[in-house]
Amino acid sequence: MLSLDLLVAGLISGLVIGLSALAVTLVFGVARFPNAATGDAMSLGAYAALAVAAGTGSLVAGGVAAVLAGILLNVILYLLVFRRLSDRSPIMSLLASIGAGFMIRSSLGLVYGQDPQAFRVPLARPLVLLDVRVQWLDLKLAGLTLATLAVVYLILAKTAAGRRMRAVSADPALARVSGIDPTRVMLTLWALAGGVSAVAGLVLGLKTVVTPDLGWNLLLPAFAAAVLGGIGSPLGAVAAGILLGIVQELATPFVGFTYKIAIAFAVLMLVLLIRPRGLFGRAEGAR
Amino acid sequence: MEAYLLAIAIFVAIFTLLTLGLNLQYGLTGLTNFGLVGFFGIGAYASAILTTHGYPVVAGFAAGAALAVIAAWPIGLVALRLRDDYFAIATLGLSEVVRVAIISEKELTAGVQGIPGIPRLFAVLESRTWQPLLLLAVLVAANLGVVLVMRRIARSPFGRVIGAIRDNEEAVRALGKDPARFKTQVLMVGAGLSAVAGSFYAHYVGYVTPDQITPLVTFQIWMAMILGGTGRISGAVLGTLLLMLLIEGARFLPDLLPFVSSTAMAELRVFVVGLALVLFTVYRPQGLMGEVARR
Amino acid sequence: MSLEISRLVKAYGPIRVTDDVSFTVPAGGLVGLIGPNGAGKSTLFSLVTGFLAPDSGSVSLDGRSLDRTGPAERARRGLVRTFQVPREFSHLTVRDNLMAAAPGQAGETLGALFLLPGRVRREEEALRRRVEEMMAFLKLDRVAEVPAGNLSGGQKKLVELGRALMTGARTILLDEPFAGVNPVLIEEISARVRELNARGIGFLVIEHDLAALSRLVTTLHVLDRGRLIAGGPPAAVLADPAVRDAYLGGAS
Repeated sequence: MLSLDLLVAGLISGLVIGLSALAVTLVFGVARFPNAATGDAMSLGAYAALAVAAGTGSLVAGGVAAVLAGILLNVILYLLVFRRLSDRSPIMSLLASIGAGFMIRSSLGLVYGQDPQAFRVPLARPLVLLDVRVQWLDLKLAGLTLATLAVVYLILAKTAAGRRMRAVSADPALARVSGIDPTRVMLTLWALAGGVSAVAGLVLGLKTVVTPDLGWNLLLPAFAAAVLGGIGSPLGAVAAGILLGIVQELATPFVGFTYKIAIAFAVLMLVLLIRPRGLFGRAEGAR
Repeated sequence: MEAYLLAIAIFVAIFTLLTLGLNLQYGLTGLTNFGLVGFFGIGAYASAILTTHGYPVVAGFAAGAALAVIAAWPIGLVALRLRDDYFAIATLGLSEVVRVAIISEKELTAGVQGIPGIPRLFAVLESRTWQPLLLLAVLVAANLGVVLVMRRIARSPFGRVIGAIRDNEEAVRALGKDPARFKTQVLMVGAGLSAVAGSFYAHYVGYVTPDQITPLVTFQIWMAMILGGTGRISGAVLGTLLLMLLIEGARFLPDLLPFVSSTAMAELRVFVVGLALVLFTVYRPQGLMGEVARR
Repeated sequence: MSLEISRLVKAYGPIRVTDDVSFTVPAGGLVGLIGPNGAGKSTLFSLVTGFLAPDSGSVSLDGRSLDRTGPAERARRGLVRTFQVPREFSHLTVRDNLMAAAPGQAGETLGALFLLPGRVRREEEALRRRVEEMMAFLKLDRVAEVPAGNLSGGQKKLVELGRALMTGARTILLDEPFAGVNPVLIEEISARVRELNARGIGFLVIEHDLAALSRLVTTLHVLDRGRLIAGGPPAAVLADPAVRDAYLGGAS
């Protein structure tokens, strides 16, 4: 019953979930709330790529546009909205992020309509490896995802900005005392999360079709993976995302396509109850 | 025009039931229920399925409320151990699962097509003017009843404990009371109330589809609660009314901006709700009326 | 009602926050617990009241083990704590803070609230009278209608003590009752604690104000880096070189 095709499909969708979970966890690590507009930043990225790719004929240009759009969106959101909410209950930030998500999604709907749009991707013969047919596109998307993860990892682990981010994430008060400007760190992190969301949206859009709901539909799996990976743990989020993607694909033949989201929900609840710190995590989850 | 105003009044009355339920849960107890619409949907679909299969209206109301209350119980047991923001995500996820289940279980729910032909309430009154008026009167009475019950709860020993839970749950446990018992009960009452609102909605609109039970509804109600003042019971009525005016106000935009199509209208409404959520959380979390401020 | 703490161990990673701690608060006793910052005092309170689970060791009340019970159940059995940072119900008035603490109220169940309104009303009236007495005893009567969040630090400590008393607790754990409290109010709180102790209520008190604490308690235990290093009458304990070394040498 365990099919290698499904495994490969799960791996690809898992990478997308992993990217979006990474965006969620980056913001949660410093801003301490689950950003529900993460999915809509993905959708925005996908549409930006679509528009620029159609205009220039270059998918690479589209990808760059997506990342810029995601960064810009998150920077604006942080400066106008979430910075002002940082000293209040996380529920207020969560509500505001829901509102921001509605605004983005409806704006995309107004401009582009609800009809699905697709990227023009040249067809190529699939690669056959050990009886499994692998699409070239999937390989490229996997490569893009892994490259993005590598870039994020390098930024977090090897740069001065990354060290500051980790310091603020670990202990905001201590970081402030050590002279780290929290606003600058927050801004960098929101920007980073925006770029990551946009790449996730681009990959998902290339893999399927682009609609204004594209990212919203992935929000629950993203949250689930972020929690499963241990909130605030970038590596955990990605690993958990891949795991969740594979579980979802492998379960699809049994529970049906529409119940995918229910699987994410079930995983989320199980993790919260049994291991609120996640598989790899440190932070607090339940009380 | 009167028919239109009457329709708005009926919608306001139905959604006020939801806002009151949310105010009990979040305003008085601090429960961040982001899955209101799931319980609303359970009520709407219970009524739709039962009455289109020939069962009486009362059976739909009762079954919907009972199902919602029963569904809330295990959620209470499970989810109440979570932090506020995780509880919010968990309940949001639950409402999405309800929607997905409705889309998937086609034999029962007709999937995305939905169920048409749900009988109107008080259809014995053939009159097109008296029937909605009677419905409105019943809804107003129901709202009044709920307001009175909630007042009674808020000013009772039970209300004292849920207020204490909202302020500091650990301290409540330190005094020998189990917050989970109170929160579960509040969640169950809120769920039943939401289901009743759903039943009224199904009968009034006449059809149900999965599109009617999206998270947008949940957050419209959150917006209504914030507008009226979180924790202010009478504010729920005012808040819902204001929200409907805000949303319905968008309906007149096409007259001003002729290039706006009807599909664009739907998007505009979502935009307005989103903008209002952002503006109010940032600038006026205490709502229009002020006071009863929350951290 | 004696509280027995036996060989409690709690570790976070390699650090033992409480390391094999044992002592007893005898029925109606008045016991103090001191130690430098980070000695594990508040952790010990959380272990004793069930807010944290120990890695090993046990707690019992009057010979009955509390090990498998949570904080609410321990409170119902008569063991109640206060918090270092006061956890008043900030939106509730002082009166409601105290009323909320009383156990076994019929009006706290929705059924009785609507089916037995007469009984609920009578209970409320009786409870209200008890709370008025309690507020008079704690000199909180002038702020009865004030939301507890608006009180001074010392008044909040009194509200917490009042709430603990309203539960009918027989053993009360006070976590730094004098912290951030002005000297006049410290004497006031001490006087109330002595009075209550004379009526048979046992206390275990964590405090940094050594002078005020040693005047109050009859037995003093010293915790240092998770271990109990001394115990006995306050004067003897404070004269102990090990205590002076660990505690007074570092801090004041």
